[in-house]
Amino acid sequence: MDHDEIISGLILELRRGTLILLVLNQLQKPKYGYNLVKELKEHDIPIEANTLYPLMRRLESQGLLKSEWDTGEAKPRKYYSITEDGRIVLKRARENWTAFSGKVDSLLENGEEDSNG
Amino acid sequence: MDSELIRRYIYAVTKRLPRKSREDVAKELNTLIADMLEERCGQVLPTEKDVRVVLTELGTPAELYDQYSGEGKKCLIGPPYYATYLYVLRIVTICALIGTTLAFALSVIAGERENYWFLEVFKWIGMLFSAAVAAFAFVTALFAFFYHKEIPLDGSTGLDNLPPVPEKRDRISKGESIFGIVISVVFVLVLLCCPQIFCAVTENGEVYPVFHPQAIRGTWYLIVFFGLAGIAGEAVKLMDGRYTRRVMITVIVSDLLSGICASWWLLGHELVNAEMIEALLGYTQSNEVVRILFTNIQLLLWGLILVVLVIDAVTVAVKTGRTEEREEGK
Repeated sequence: MDHDEIISGLILELRRGTLILLVLNQLQKPKYGYNLVKELKEHDIPIEANTLYPLMRRLESQGLLKSEWDTGEAKPRKYYSITEDGRIVLKRARENWTAFSGKVDSLLENGEEDSNG
Repeated sequence: MDSELIRRYIYAVTKRLPRKSREDVAKELNTLIADMLEERCGQVLPTEKDVRVVLTELGTPAELYDQYSGEGKKCLIGPPYYATYLYVLRIVTICALIGTTLAFALSVIAGERENYWFLEVFKWIGMLFSAAVAAFAFVTALFAFFYHKEIPLDGSTGLDNLPPVPEKRDRISKGESIFGIVISVVFVLVLLCCPQIFCAVTENGEVYPVFHPQAIRGTWYLIVFFGLAGIAGEAVKLMDGRYTRRVMITVIVSDLLSGICASWWLLGHELVNAEMIEALLGYTQSNEVVRILFTNIQLLLWGLILVVLVIDAVTVAVKTGRTEEREEGK
């Protein structure tokens, strides 16, 4: 049985669910896409640019992010930042995540104790 | 050379995106690729290999396009419509093939023969092929429309709307629908391919076709429409499998349209061969009632069709009413 394949699929699913939360959280200050990719990587959260860029556009079309082109530098860059609606969504999603992950953690710890005991 | 590869890559990603976002995405990707190259090479000028590595890391243009194009409907007919689509498509295609074969057999019996038997076979295969293509196109277009307009299938909209398991007497038999579709196909094909099959033979052996073939072929669109209206009604019956309100509405609308179509066809065109009427009148020694009947044969035919359509509509309405009553009683 190929455990690696199953595990990588599972991790992908888990990440996908938290990605929006992370993006909204990190864009409370304006950033351009690659900036965000590197920042998340520094926190050991590798996200592919080909996932992040389309996602930011989607969040913008939903009104959770806004964007602005900065053409002052050598390369034109599109800066994204959170909107008021985005903040409301972020706040509630964060509360949900904290509560949910706490419960998952406690269950998983119990499971570990059970299997040890 | 390198920038050419990047240009091609970006073009391949963006060419199918909506016009308004195309340029924006291209500009953003351009900067992203430049950033990724800078990250990889620092101040050194990137080589073609570097460009290839970076573009490979970004994924194929098709994958990237897929990400950008979002989660909308990406197929012509998707779940939960696909299963029903296959079911209806299979039955309609089989009906079309049977109907075509019957019509072909009738035309051969009517004397439309080729010089060689194998030409006959080719003609038959050609007709089968056209019928299959037409059935496929019609059913596919119908279901693509359902899917994209999200017209609910029976029982797909939640627990409260789950259809009851139909009692035997409430079920519409598959055979009935198949028969209806075959009849529609035969009707259309016979009228279009060999209207001369309807003919009157006098005692002297003279043959008079009932219809003017030219007039019939000139009104092909009405005939095809008449046939399609019938098939649409049967297709919905197949889909729901019992007398639902939707079946009732479709059948009544299709009967109504068929009625209008028949009126236009029979009242607005001279379809019946006047020579035949003359010959028959001469034969019957001008009995007054028969004369009136024969000279108004199109009117008679029209009345007959209307009566049949009305009976069909009323039957479906009554059966639907009864089914609903029984289901509410449960």
